[in-house]
Amino acid sequence: MKKKIFSVLLVLLLLASQFSLFSSCDSVNEKQKFSEYYFDYFDTVTTITGYTETEEEFKSICEEIKTELSEYHKLYNIYFRFQGVKNICVINELVDGKHNVVKVDKKIIDLLLYSKEMYSLTDGKINVAMGSVLSVWHKYREIGLSDPSNAELPPVNVLEEAKKHTDFSKVEIDEENNTVFLSDPQMTLDVGAIAKGYAVERIAEYLINKGITDFLLNVGGNVRTIGMGKDNEPWKVGIENPDTSKQEEVPHIEYLKFSNMSLVTSGCYQRFYEVDGKNYHHIIDPVTLYPGEKYLSVSVLTNDSGLGDALSTSLFLMNIEEGKKLADSLENVEVMWVKKNGEQIYTDGFKNYTFEYKK
Amino acid sequence: MSKNRKTKNDIILAVIVIAVAATGLLLLNIFRTEGTFAVVKVDGKETERYPLSVNTEVVIKTQNDGKNTLVIEDGKAFIKDASCPDKICEGHSKISFKGETIVCLPHKVVIEIVADNSENELDVVV
Repeated sequence: MKKKIFSVLLVLLLLASQFSLFSSCDSVNEKQKFSEYYFDYFDTVTTITGYTETEEEFKSICEEIKTELSEYHKLYNIYFRFQGVKNICVINELVDGKHNVVKVDKKIIDLLLYSKEMYSLTDGKINVAMGSVLSVWHKYREIGLSDPSNAELPPVNVLEEAKKHTDFSKVEIDEENNTVFLSDPQMTLDVGAIAKGYAVERIAEYLINKGITDFLLNVGGNVRTIGMGKDNEPWKVGIENPDTSKQEEVPHIEYLKFSNMSLVTSGCYQRFYEVDGKNYHHIIDPVTLYPGEKYLSVSVLTNDSGLGDALSTSLFLMNIEEGKKLADSLENVEVMWVKKNGEQIYTDGFKNYTFEYKK
Repeated sequence: MSKNRKTKNDIILAVIVIAVAATGLLLLNIFRTEGTFAVVKVDGKETERYPLSVNTEVVIKTQNDGKNTLVIEDGKAFIKDASCPDKICEGHSKISFKGETIVCLPHKVVIEIVADNSENELDVVV
């Protein structure tokens, strides 16, 4: 009889343990995952993912992030003016054939000083004074996208002429008075290669200073993680296959786990237009004045999203040796290059962050 | 209690234990494979969710009369057709991994793969 009771108990225990297996997912974790999407900033989609105890907490942090994003979006905008905002678009404006000395927000001064730093670090590959050249490409790309049958490449002489007005030393930044002046009337600023990553890093800094943690910001592929992800483990990030023709068989080429770091990928498969069956993307080499053709993509893992953004663009335009030398000269910078034939090249430490992923 | 009876009871116990374990595993597996969905979000708000286990074709209506046709086929989701100007969503590969997304920026549409069982979930794919 005792044995019978024992066996019944054993069965009940087994049953109970299985049920607890089902419910464990909800009960162990205090923090829940939430996500939010925004479409109005930096011409791209922003995803905010966070682990918080309540949805209200998550939403209120998102509101703060949104306010910050909106401010940086307006300040760093090169295409549009906003009422009451002296942004980069205003610096670029001509009045009677000349640029004005424009008093701007400190956030613009800081961005331009960082751009200057990146200009020398990347040997001129990052040059925010290249607006004249980039606007030519922008114009031809817009026409090509809206009317593909009439898509054309910019004439070389037009690009060469524009190049004469890209001398970074003509960007006069007065830190004391917070003013900017472009002394070459035909020069314009284009901060597209750096502003998004820089803004994401400033927002991350803002969150960290407020003690907010366990958030992931993804502004159009510019990823910055703060704190930890699920179960207090590092965040898990997949990298899409930049070879779009092979995505069906191999959707992702690498899986990374990291925390308190940023991942930025520059690729030729995002913004491009087609001329005579060939794709022309948006990363323009300041020397050749044409899109870089060395790689399908370059991914950079760093502590700083601003640096990651600048590096991914500039490494995209350098050969592997130059790029490795630059990456190795910096702390906590790991890189993956994907060559045109799909071959993946890494810096020594990159693989410390990868993991085998099973669906 | 005879020795025979004892053995018989042991066998019954063993069978019950195995049966319970097997049902449990089976249930666990069903929950794992069937709890994956393609969630449709328009302007950040979830409007629908479709199980990846059922082949589906639906037209997502967005602001300004925009349309994106979502297809679920063989456990994968993709945008078959879209009225947006850039067609980037149409060009995106089929998605099926937890955490993967397809975005249509002009229409503010996001298709996201989510699962009841969040084990192995990717936080983001870029």
